[in-house]
Amino acid sequence: MNSVHRRRRGRLPAVALAVLAGLTACADSDSGGGDGGDSAGSIIVITPNPVGGNNFLSLAIEGAERVAEERGLELEVYESTDPTSIQQNVEAAVREQPDIVIGLTFSLQDAFATVPVDNPDQQFLLVDGCPDPQPDNVTCAAFREHEATYLAGVEAGLLTETGRIGVVAALDTPFIRRWVDPFLAGAQSVNPAATSTPLFVGGDNPFGDPARGGAQAQVLADGGADQVLLAASGSNVGAFEVAAAGGFQAYGVDVNECASAPGQVVDNVTKNVDVALAESVTAILDGDTGGSQVYGLAEDGVGLTAFEDDVADSGCLIADRPDVIEQLEQIRQEIIDGTITVDDPAAG
Amino acid sequence: MDVLNLAFVAAVLTSAAPVLYAALGGALCGRAGVFNIALEGQLLWGAFTAVAVSWWSGNPWLGVLAAVAATAVFSLVLAVGAVAFRADPIIVAVGMNLLALGLTGFVMREALGATGTFAPAGLPGLPDLDVLDGVPVLGPVLGRATVLVPLALVLAVVLSLWLARTSIGLRLRGVGEHPEAATSLGVPVTRYQMATVVVAGALCGLGGAQLSLGTVTAFTENMTAGRGWVAVAAVMLAVSRPLWVLGACLLFGAAEAWGFRLQGIGLPQQLTDAAPYLVTLVVLVLSRIRVRRRLRAADPVAAESAAHPETALHPEEPR
Repeated sequence: MNSVHRRRRGRLPAVALAVLAGLTACADSDSGGGDGGDSAGSIIVITPNPVGGNNFLSLAIEGAERVAEERGLELEVYESTDPTSIQQNVEAAVREQPDIVIGLTFSLQDAFATVPVDNPDQQFLLVDGCPDPQPDNVTCAAFREHEATYLAGVEAGLLTETGRIGVVAALDTPFIRRWVDPFLAGAQSVNPAATSTPLFVGGDNPFGDPARGGAQAQVLADGGADQVLLAASGSNVGAFEVAAAGGFQAYGVDVNECASAPGQVVDNVTKNVDVALAESVTAILDGDTGGSQVYGLAEDGVGLTAFEDDVADSGCLIADRPDVIEQLEQIRQEIIDGTITVDDPAAG
Repeated sequence: MDVLNLAFVAAVLTSAAPVLYAALGGALCGRAGVFNIALEGQLLWGAFTAVAVSWWSGNPWLGVLAAVAATAVFSLVLAVGAVAFRADPIIVAVGMNLLALGLTGFVMREALGATGTFAPAGLPGLPDLDVLDGVPVLGPVLGRATVLVPLALVLAVVLSLWLARTSIGLRLRGVGEHPEAATSLGVPVTRYQMATVVVAGALCGLGGAQLSLGTVTAFTENMTAGRGWVAVAAVMLAVSRPLWVLGACLLFGAAEAWGFRLQGIGLPQQLTDAAPYLVTLVVLVLSRIRVRRRLRAADPVAAESAAHPETALHPEEPR
């Protein structure tokens, strides 16, 4: 049996609960004597933001619920509201002494660099991020996003009519280039004449400047690009508006964003954070702790909406092109087999 | 002109409009003798109010009105703090900028239930100037913009004439240039300055509404992303003259739009980020050189002492 408790924790409740947690921890050691607790075990997931409408976080919680069910674990979710509450939630979670304290995204990197050092007997898992330096009791779950981006590039190469594709990305960093360079490489693998124009939002608020994101998308549309990948986080809003106005066909990132510009989004470079979370929890419980576990196409950690069973209901344009999906499945297999290697822009 | 160049002009106008509203507000304050660097926070506050009220009421024009009103009220902090109570306007403004950033994020979370970005399907945005479709030149340039974009250009001209040609404009300039003289002539200096700050707030509200309901239809935390600071730079570059402010804002808009196009052919992103600041530096240096040349032509000795005030203070010292 498992039960899921969800707590929304702001700053005040977090403090109150931390006190409570401290009290129960004392009570435990008084009565039980030892760290046995109940045999079922438990995991605590800490989010950087309220789960609310955030598809990425909801997907991660789904994965946690699945693995909790499989392994008979008790699951608790601590939702943070700001950086202060992240730190408090991590500390509160540690006091509960679950089997694994799980953090989501790089927003928890700072807390996971310090708290585990002070609690060497507690196991931690950070999904989609990794603290540097990485403490021994922290396991990281990372993704090979470039593999899925390459497949999206193949799609763009097959579907483009003008031979021009583009990317709107937040910042020009090696990590974010995982959504930029493989997109062109994939397109050129099927359409050698294809050219790509990557634009980077930059400025004072690269992840949240929709006006700049929109202006760049318009530049791409005016320049004749008809397949554009949008990897600029909060700046995407403006770019999706250009797509919706008929400027180009877009590709989303991380989750299904086909509803952001209905009828104008081809596909999404998805990150199956549920798979990664569930598998990493299983691995840690089985004693494989520390280091990084990396999820690519082979592990089903990244993919495309095109590969999902319910692609017909996804609202994505690719649903109408089973011929392209078939070709993509083939290339995915070649990447998994190692016949095709996708260069990682973030490597060395 | 071919279509691409017209698209470039359209991009310049769209990116310049919100900055221009804020900068015109800043310029008015500058002429009235109040240094207003709270433009960034006021733009953000306007952008947020516009989206929130447009969402609640279903009418984007109510959003614009609310943004104008709410930002005018917000600017009372500067009007009362820096003008009535004579606090340091820089400190008050820095506080306002921080307050706007925190408050918009907080209210968005509590009242709209969103974090990061608020762009629900069906959020009513301002309509484009579709009537211009098919009109040569004007169609491609303004057809995708809202009416607030050409209004900003008109406003720059109107304010320039108003400052130069009306008696209230004259008094306002007097208040800024010589408050004691203005007082002795019976002009209520404090009242003029406070009113100007509030009008500047209303202008920032328009700029914010254009950003969040015109340029895009969404609110994102800190979506102004430094546009208010670019406006401050424009005010200083233009020495608070509305027509020069217009020129400076168009220059910044052109630098940004041109930067994006250069990025497309391989220019690094960091260089396009620096574009508005590089433009400011270049223009400042050029204008300084011109001023010196003109001074030297008129009176070589005065020009020299203006360039080296320390020697002017001690003329007897051998150089």
